[in-house]
This record gives sequence, structure tokens and C-alpha cells, in this order.
Amino acid sequence: MKSLSIYKICIKTAVSQAVAYRFNFFLSLLITFLGSLLLPLVAVLIYGAGASFPGWSFHEVLLIQSLFTVSQAMAKVCLGNVLWDTMIHVREGSFEVVLLKPMEPLAYMIATTFSPDSFGNLLCGLALFGYAAAHAQIVSAAAAIGAGLLLFIAGVAVMAGIQIIMAATSFKWVGNSRLPEIFGSVEAFGQYPIAIFPSAIRAVATFIVPVSLVGFFPAAALLGRAEPEAFWGAGLSLLFLGFGVWLYQHMIRRYKGAGG
Amino acid sequence: MIYAVAVATFKEWSVYRTHTFVSVFVGPVYFAVQYFIWTAVYGSRPELAGMALDQLIRYFAATALIGYLTMDFADWNLSMLIRTGKFLTFALRPIHHRFFALSQKLGHRVLGFALEFIPCLLIFHFLFGVDMRPANLPWTFLSVALAFSINFHFNYIIGMASFWVVRTEGIRNVVSLIAKVFSGALIPLAFFPEWLRMVQFFLPFQYTVYVPAMVFTGSFTPWLVGYQAVAALVMYLVSELVYRRAMRRFCDVGM
Repeated sequence: MKSLSIYKICIKTAVSQAVAYRFNFFLSLLITFLGSLLLPLVAVLIYGAGASFPGWSFHEVLLIQSLFTVSQAMAKVCLGNVLWDTMIHVREGSFEVVLLKPMEPLAYMIATTFSPDSFGNLLCGLALFGYAAAHAQIVSAAAAIGAGLLLFIAGVAVMAGIQIIMAATSFKWVGNSRLPEIFGSVEAFGQYPIAIFPSAIRAVATFIVPVSLVGFFPAAALLGRAEPEAFWGAGLSLLFLGFGVWLYQHMIRRYKGAGG
Repeated sequence: MIYAVAVATFKEWSVYRTHTFVSVFVGPVYFAVQYFIWTAVYGSRPELAGMALDQLIRYFAATALIGYLTMDFADWNLSMLIRTGKFLTFALRPIHHRFFALSQKLGHRVLGFALEFIPCLLIFHFLFGVDMRPANLPWTFLSVALAFSINFHFNYIIGMASFWVVRTEGIRNVVSLIAKVFSGALIPLAFFPEWLRMVQFFLPFQYTVYVPAMVFTGSFTPWLVGYQAVAALVMYLVSELVYRRAMRRFCDVGM
């Protein structure tokens, strides 16, 4: 409860700070909104050229990419700055400031790094989802919607896990600002129908770094095409998030405060 | 002078070589995604938007490699110097800051050539089996050199916005977004509608990625490289003009 009330205060503060520089905030919203359109732009141009992903209509691909964008945006809003703040603290040797707080360090970092700048990604993802859902043949059965929702939550857990693992890695790999690129490149496998990739990549993207849960499997469930391995992957997504939390706490114990 | 600054920058960034070496993972992974996407999309089609699959795969490999040779953050660097007031130390030196920045970039990209370009070239060629021999080496070299110049001067112009506005992150982000779409890094410009390609002809972005990649694949006319040379000259002249105007109002307050 205490953590939640602190989190609420931190969100209010972050939003107040952001809107204090209104022009900058709205420009950021616009840029992140437009930036999120780059992913579906490729699909638009592919389908516009008369080609397609085998077995997937344009709106179905858009459904995958919109769900991916929403999950990614939620993780960015809530956890996106944990990496950067952790990285700065570790490089400057000032993480002790966090450790001295009467709160679990990761919870404190999450609460104090709420990022309204990524609202644009979220708005864009939701708008794309609305458009795609209205045009794709979504199954209206409760089971399909329930499965889609369950897998979507699992996808958000995967994205949250990735953010926390990146932040944990910054304890060891001091000051490497290219960490998001490494994980971002792996995330790209979750932005398209998984069937287009070879079986080895499919296995990795489902069971090891389950990025296929972020967009593909929830969309497939909503379209009535859920596959059994999706639900195995959903279970693994919680383990993945748990691993991220464990790794962050483990790295805190190895933190020496020497800077770098 | 150019050699001294380039060597100093090379040594400075060599300390952070794992930072640069990240590209050896990231580049091939992104390339693999493109490889499988487009292989699936082409299916049994001989060509799309006038490009055959093997030409498109070579195009994406070329864009990745050209990116390692032309990568630049002169805008960020110059903005930081102006905002912090450190630009004064350069304004006082008997050397144009743009020349200094260009020398730094050369040193930085020599490191990129060793740690990013060569390993990724080998990965693309031997792991993915992509023919990475340029269709015409002299033209490719010239086109990449022009892309290098255009990219640097364009970024330098954007960085000079800091002489007029304090925070340029917004401007730089907008430009970066536009460049990503219109440079051809995301998807070849051949896939864009005709009217948009006409608009792109007058923008500098396609000359930094799309044109050198097309020259690499052999789909070009010398006129295209000629336009690229004109774009490079325009970027240089505009950067000089803006620099002179900026120097008239520079007061080095910083913040």
C-alpha cells in the first residue's frame, strides 16, 4: 500500500513536471505518436505494392503491430526510464542514494521514473488497435477475447521484463547507452507473423525471450487462431519478468559504488 | 591537423570499443528480421516495386554497412557545446569548428570501419550468403563519400539551431524521424508513391542512404551521383551561411 501511494504521488509529480514545459511535452507526444507509425508504415507500403505476409491480411498484421505498440508503450511509460536512471547512478557511483530510501530499490526506481513522454506511443498504439480491430475479423467469442487479453497481459510482462533486464545489465555494462538497441533488435521478431521466421527463431521468440507474446500471439488469439504454445509462453512470460526482477536485485548486491 | 584530431578521437572512442562493437550483434539481427520478412513477402514473385528479392536483400545489407561508415551525431555534439558554453573554446581557436568536427567524425568512423563495418560485412557475406561485392567500386566509393559529407553537414546545420533556441531535442527528434522515413533506411524509396518520390528528390535524406545503396546494387545512373554531389555542395554552402549568421549573434552565455 505504501509503495502504491508513493507511486501515485510520483506519477502526479512526473505529469506536473512534463506539462510545465507544455510545448516540449506536446511536441514529444507528437513525435512519439508519429514515431510509432513507422512500424505499420512498412506494412502499408508492402500491401500497397500488392504483396502480403502469407496468410495474413493487412488489418491482421496491423492488429499484431498495434498490440505490440501498446505493450511496448505501457512498458516505456512505467519502466522506460529505469534503465537510464540506473545507468546514471551506476556511472556516477550514486546508487547509494536509492539504497538509503526506506523502500525496495526497484520499486523506488519504477515509481520515480514514470515517463509521460511515451504517452504518444500509447495513444498511437490504441488508435491503431481500434482501427485494426474494426477492420480485422476478430472473433467475438468470450474465450477468444479472454485468451487475447491473457496473452496481452503476458506480452506486457515480457516488455516489462526486458526493461528491467536492460536496467540490471547496466550495473555490469557501465554506461553503455546502446543497451536498448540490443534488446530492441530482438523485439523486432515480435512485430510480424511468427510463421515467417525459421523454427529455431520461433522457438527462441516463444520460449526464451518470448517476444512473440507481445504482439503476435494476442492478435492470433483475438482472430481465433491461438496456438497451444502461446499459453506455455504466457506462463514463461511471468518467469521472464520474475527473472528480470531477480537479476536487478542480484546486481544491486554486487554494486560497489565505484562509478565507471 | 585533421590527422591529429582524427587519431585523438579514434583513441578516445577505442576506450569504449564495446559500445561500438554492439553493432556486430544489432546489425545482423535487424538484417535477419528484414531477410525473413522480405523472403516471406516476395514468395514466388520475381519482383516488387521493380526490385528483385536478391537485389532488395543486398540493398538492406548495404544500407546497414553504409550506415556504419556515415553515422554521425554532429548535431548532438554541437548543441551540447553551445548549450554548455563550451563552444567558446572552439570559437577562439584558429580553426573552423566544422573542420574540427569533421576531423573528429573521420576518426570515429575509422573505428566504426574496423569494429562495425568489417565484422558485419563478413557476417552478411559468409553467414547470410549475401553477395557484398559492390556492382561498381569507384562509383560506390564516391557515392558513400558524398553521403558521408551530406550527412555530416546536414547534422551540423541542425546542431546550429542551438544558437537560436536553447533546447533542440524536439527539432532533432523530428528531423531524425523524417530522415528515417525518407532516407530509405526503413524501406527502399521505390515502394513509395510516385509523388512522394518526387518530393524526396528535393530533400537531402535519400542521398545519405537510398542513393549510395542503389549505387552499391548497381541500379543507378551517373546522373544520380551527380545530384548527390549537388546536394553535398548545397549542404556545405548552407552550413557555411548559417555558421556565419550564427557567429554574428553568438554571445556564449550557455546555460
